[in-house]
Amino acid sequence: MIWQPKGLQGIRRTVQFLVIVMMITIPTLSRYTNYLGARELDKSLERWDGTLQGEVLGGLDAVLRALPGGEKERVGRMVRNRTQVLEYAQSVRGGPWSVQIGPVSMTDPLAGAESIMASKQLVWVLLISLFIPIIGTVLFGRIFCSWVCPMGLLLEFTDKLRNLLRFLEIRPHNLHFSRSIKYVLLGVGLALTVMMSMPILGYIYPPAIIGREAHDLVFGIFDRIEEGRSGFWMGGLTWMSLIILGIALFEVTVSRRWWCRYVCPGGGLYSLLGKIRVTRVKRVADKCTLCGDCVVVCPMGLVPMQDVMGVECDNCGLCVSSCNDDALGYSISLKDEPFVSSVGTNKTDKEGVVQSA
Amino acid sequence: MDRRSFIGKLTGATLSVAGAIGGGLAMVAGSESSACLRPPGALLEEDFLATCIRCGRCADACPNRCIVGFTEDAGAELDVKPGLGQRNTPVIFARKKACILCNGAPGEDLLCTAACPTGALVKTKKDADVVQATVKMGKAEVDTTLCYSFNGASCGACVRACPFEGTALRAGLWEKPLVDPEACIGCGLCERACVHYPQAIRVRPA
Repeated sequence: MIWQPKGLQGIRRTVQFLVIVMMITIPTLSRYTNYLGARELDKSLERWDGTLQGEVLGGLDAVLRALPGGEKERVGRMVRNRTQVLEYAQSVRGGPWSVQIGPVSMTDPLAGAESIMASKQLVWVLLISLFIPIIGTVLFGRIFCSWVCPMGLLLEFTDKLRNLLRFLEIRPHNLHFSRSIKYVLLGVGLALTVMMSMPILGYIYPPAIIGREAHDLVFGIFDRIEEGRSGFWMGGLTWMSLIILGIALFEVTVSRRWWCRYVCPGGGLYSLLGKIRVTRVKRVADKCTLCGDCVVVCPMGLVPMQDVMGVECDNCGLCVSSCNDDALGYSISLKDEPFVSSVGTNKTDKEGVVQSA
Repeated sequence: MDRRSFIGKLTGATLSVAGAIGGGLAMVAGSESSACLRPPGALLEEDFLATCIRCGRCADACPNRCIVGFTEDAGAELDVKPGLGQRNTPVIFARKKACILCNGAPGEDLLCTAACPTGALVKTKKDADVVQATVKMGKAEVDTTLCYSFNGASCGACVRACPFEGTALRAGLWEKPLVDPEACIGCGLCERACVHYPQAIRVRPA
């Protein structure tokens, strides 16, 4: 069985954008519930009318009421509706580093590894929270990198920028480093974590940084509205954003996807977990014309047309959708080897055998 | 392994070690760790720093928005800086906003403890007896040289703010605040309510 989805990229992009939307929505909803709580406590509703906070609250109220769940409860009873929306809003929190959506809690395996190694004890809450990401990685490989990670999305856009530069005949460099850097960094980071009894890789791990910065940015905007100030302002952004900016600039000018390929400690951990992944990209050797389109497109710098995917493949499916010969697809297997017989060729083979016998 | 790949690997190893140490150093900025008020149900400071992954879910969950990430910006007004490994950890600046123990908010557990994915905040029932028995954020301490009630004017603002009024914080003669260190959980509402500046009653973090 080989699955050759061509429309996967659209879905993947949608998921990536949904993650960005959630990173903005979650802190917004958090502030919204704060305002609701304050308004409930503040028996005098008129204090909220006409103020900027009142305006914001009213706007968010209208948006949330349009959502399913809000509308149903609205009929006749405002208060009921509000508590309904409140529960609705309070069921999501966190960011790409660790998130809770309703009853489902998910934590990055890197965060889990660091917390466990620094505190030297196992906690049920954390193990439950790690369950979905680890199972997902074992089944589908580094899909966090290709489907969720906001840094991955950013770097895919800077990739487009690289193409633009190439189109303008300004050739950006494309240096290659050792892929083992990320494992060394992961090892050193975890060793330091154990020695210092403190999770430190979270401070240099881009999804964690972006999640915190986005959260602080949204909270900063709300603080700004509350204080009623204006003028030039950096939001809640800290110097941590410069790390992200630096990674992106280095990507554009020096080395394509260098962070994901060579450095990212979280990517390294996902790679190790995904070593035994069940879903793999496979090549149908009979159909492949060795055109090399997949090699050009692969963000991880792999060579799908030679069947060497190894632990690095993040199953993004770009090679699958870029293949003009329908030679690449996903298959369920534990080894990287060419897909010998597609269903069609298999049949003819059997018939051939039967006929010759 | 040929020379080229060996040099590549060596450079890689050196770069990554440098990176990790750089990351560590960046975090150490302001290396003295400062005592700060953690959310209710938090482990002791050392264990807390080891267990917490700095995800900010407790801050999102806090109905009073008293839990904030410990950054230079957040502590600027009170002149406190995050120390060794304290950056982005959840902290409560009681003078700005104190813990209301999720009074009036939905849910069975204290919302921040329910949100914590690592057990750095131990799940705690939203029940007065349970909270008083298990939560030890800190202890309130009265500076009798500053407190109005100890200096000839009766005030009592802190006593009225206390969620465990009568046990944790009692009003003595002329509304003098009398703290019972056994019963006080260190929520900081008294410090928030204190009308004297600098605050005459403060919470010393556990």
